[in-house]
Amino acid sequence: MNSPFRPWRDSVFRVLALSVMLSAVALASVVLLSAELEERFAIHTAEALGGELVLAGSSPPTESQREATRELERARITDFATVLVEGDETLLVSARAVDAAYPLFGELMIADERFGASRPQQSGPPPGEAWAAEQVLDQLGLEVGEPLRLGRKELEISAVIRQEPDQGAGFYSMNPRVLFNLADLEATGVLGPGTRVEYRLLLAGEPAPLERARQALSEDLRPDQELETLEDAAVRSMGPLRQLTLWVSLAVLLVTLLCGAAIYLASSQRVRRRARMAALLRSFGARRRQVLTRLLGGEFIAILPASLLGSLAGIGLILALRGDLGREGGLAADPGDWIVILFGPLLLWLAFGLPRLTALVRVPAMQVLSGRSEARQASLTLELAAALAAPVLLAALLTGSLADLGQLLLLLVAMAVLLPALFWPLLLMLDRGSRRLALPLRLAIRRLSRRPGLTLPLLAALTVAMSVLGLAGQTGNRLLDDWQHRLPERAPNFFVFNLFEEDLDTLSEWLERHDGEEQPAYPVIRGRLVEINDTPVRQALTKYDDRAERTLNRDLVLTETEQLPPSNRMVEGEWLPGRHDHEVTVEEQIANSLELDPGDRVRFVSGTRTLEARVTGIREVDWDSFQPNFFFIFSPGSLDEHDRTWLTSFWLPPGDGARLAELVRAMPHMSLLDVNDMLDRARGIIAQASRATALLAVLLMGAALLVLAAALLSGGDARARDNALLRTLGARRSLLRQVEWLEFTLLGLASALAASLIMLASLWPLAQRLFDGELPWSPWMLLPAALGLLVILAGVTLGRTARRQPPLTLLQTPD
Amino acid sequence: MELASGESLAILGPSGSGKSTLLGLLAGLDVPGSGTVELQGRPFSSLNEDDRAARRGELCAFVFQSFHLVADLTARENVMLPMELQHRRDARARADAWLERLGLGERLQHFPAQLSGGEQQRVALARAFAVEPALLFADEPTGSLDHANGARIAELLFDLNRQAGTALVLVTHDEELAGRCDRRLKLREGRLDE
Repeated sequence: MNSPFRPWRDSVFRVLALSVMLSAVALASVVLLSAELEERFAIHTAEALGGELVLAGSSPPTESQREATRELERARITDFATVLVEGDETLLVSARAVDAAYPLFGELMIADERFGASRPQQSGPPPGEAWAAEQVLDQLGLEVGEPLRLGRKELEISAVIRQEPDQGAGFYSMNPRVLFNLADLEATGVLGPGTRVEYRLLLAGEPAPLERARQALSEDLRPDQELETLEDAAVRSMGPLRQLTLWVSLAVLLVTLLCGAAIYLASSQRVRRRARMAALLRSFGARRRQVLTRLLGGEFIAILPASLLGSLAGIGLILALRGDLGREGGLAADPGDWIVILFGPLLLWLAFGLPRLTALVRVPAMQVLSGRSEARQASLTLELAAALAAPVLLAALLTGSLADLGQLLLLLVAMAVLLPALFWPLLLMLDRGSRRLALPLRLAIRRLSRRPGLTLPLLAALTVAMSVLGLAGQTGNRLLDDWQHRLPERAPNFFVFNLFEEDLDTLSEWLERHDGEEQPAYPVIRGRLVEINDTPVRQALTKYDDRAERTLNRDLVLTETEQLPPSNRMVEGEWLPGRHDHEVTVEEQIANSLELDPGDRVRFVSGTRTLEARVTGIREVDWDSFQPNFFFIFSPGSLDEHDRTWLTSFWLPPGDGARLAELVRAMPHMSLLDVNDMLDRARGIIAQASRATALLAVLLMGAALLVLAAALLSGGDARARDNALLRTLGARRSLLRQVEWLEFTLLGLASALAASLIMLASLWPLAQRLFDGELPWSPWMLLPAALGLLVILAGVTLGRTARRQPPLTLLQTPD
Repeated sequence: MELASGESLAILGPSGSGKSTLLGLLAGLDVPGSGTVELQGRPFSSLNEDDRAARRGELCAFVFQSFHLVADLTARENVMLPMELQHRRDARARADAWLERLGLGERLQHFPAQLSGGEQQRVALARAFAVEPALLFADEPTGSLDHANGARIAELLFDLNRQAGTALVLVTHDEELAGRCDRRLKLREGRLDE
């Protein structure tokens, strides 16, 4: 009885179905894109961590732990510090023994000679060989091809290691790396009792076995062991990536709201069409429930294929576009995402369309049959509740939490409710003022003002879309720009350690000769924190903190400087107010872990000397900045009595390695670290993020315009009838065109103007918070105007069908 | 068939016999596959669509079964509409006068949705006669009204038609209404019989 094809005969249903279909396309593509980006971030995080799950401990994993990870991909590494001796030279290195499965994520970058080009490598050195960092070669005077003695075993240096995928940001505070095969570890005999060693079991796999392994391992942890997860690694909290995720979530939310508005508008029209049928059924004695079941049941069955088709189209779109995102293999979406993709559009239809459709049974049948009612009165409370709940629910499903989106969501909902309330009096004023206006303008204004049920949601939807798109583009673009500014073309691509004071001039001269660019040099000493406020540090801490523990167990690189380094910002206290008075500022996160506040006193031991200072301030440090960054910065003069070396960075234009060899020969005691590969990698991430943002913006704009088109089409019936009547009464086509241009110009202009005002109002506080009070002017500010123009063009194009309605239809179709 | 100035003609026929199609052809809303329509001795059906619209606006007026008032315009504005399309300066005054004459002087600023069916059809009559048409097309003008209102509208239609000397083409099912016309044509299976 309820043929799924019957409703398709009605043009309004086709519009409604198109809205649902478009929402499905948008939802599927945005959700999948979001999942792809998340996956990319997860891979990025996994690369930084070494695996999706890492079991670390001071002795190897137990048999039961190995058994618990049997279903997963595994790689074993053993990290320890050891001293290498070569002739008279000694050097403390970070040695790492790896098995054949290492690395699980990312790749190693190695070079065949000291200043040679880097190339990627999917696994570590074979047995009998070692890869050494540049500093190792420089400090010990070794070259590739020569033997390196590690304990009792001699290994051949077969490559220079430039970059490891799981290399942390603090690369210059780490001892230089020697990488060799795990098979050689025992033969070196370096691991004796008391050696500081860390056994790391890197794990990767499908979510379910991974979760099983996590459960099992966390119940079976020895006291010396630690289980690191992707969430712990928190690389995703890195500024720009986090902003991008938030921007994706915002896009999803916006698309949801837009589609909701379109479904609402189309459903209103559908109700007008179906009112007669509902009234007839009721006049035949059907109960409300029967009417609803019959009409809505059929509607639902007919909507299903539209929704499914839309989802499939969205999936197809992402499959086609994902190559651009540099991803291969299966789609990244999880079951939750698939639920949203498949049921999201139906949920939207229920929330935005159903309350309208229930109006079918609210109006007395006789009123409808006698043509005295348009059956438009739905329950406003029900409509509002459903319309507000659906996007909230979807956003919650999509983002997993409302914490990040909470404020944004509130703002959007406020706009969706407040905007119509603000536009309504304006529309009324325009209506009143139109009485004496010329016919085309009056007709255009009346089409808007006399259909507030269509005009107000449309205006609100357009305004929200334009302003949010503009804002997201503006801030997203600005943040990407900021990120790019941190990595300018001449970002330092080499770091130098162990310089003596007298080397600084030599380095400057050498840089000048080779068109290089100097960066500030920092005097550094290595020191271990021993006391806070004259209390031994472990007693001073009131709670266990992993970061604090790691900080206390190693020497920190301490520096002094007069100027606050560029990638630092004071968040509490003052920047070294006294000078020469043994003052220190502390990095924010380490200060939290060590429970340090301005006014506290800290004592370090460096060699045989101690260094005491009063904490005057807490600094926020941008760790992504590729600048030398420090946990503790002392006032100038504090390190005078210590054996200081210098640390600096510089930019050197690309060229042959001979220049660098000359530098190393001039200062054989220094360490030179080439970070070109790391810079390239960071620039690659920026490029990918830019592409993803642009793609998302295009998708969102497309969705907004398509949904707008659906909304405009839904009012097409009345428009076509009026046009036919005007033609019958003698109007030329040019008049109809004129009216339409004026109507959509008013619509586009009003929404673009409101969106621009909202953008300005929102950017002001944002500018205060993010961009030091400077209002970030950019071409994005013109986006509402451009979208307004698109609205006009889309409206006029869509109006063409209604304009072409032959006048004869007036005689053939009853009202 | 020919229709003289001031003459009234009823077209009768069962549903689906093509009455409305014939009306559409006569009014230039559609063009015939064969044959021609002339208006005041000049070709009409052979003009292009815009020229037909202009000529229709100048010489013809309509009263429809379902009134067809523009929902977004007030009663006064609906009556003014065809005169505004002709760029007549006295549109407003004439609209007010005609609405007053048809007993709607108090309803000038009302929108169609605020008027009863009878009132809407009277606005439609005012709109039709205000342009002083040479030819009035009425398509089941009483079809959507109750008996009393229908009778009143029919009375008005014929009175005004007589006073204005307008030629009238009336499409109807109603034999009684048709009986008040000078001539009656029956349309059956594509043939017109007088």
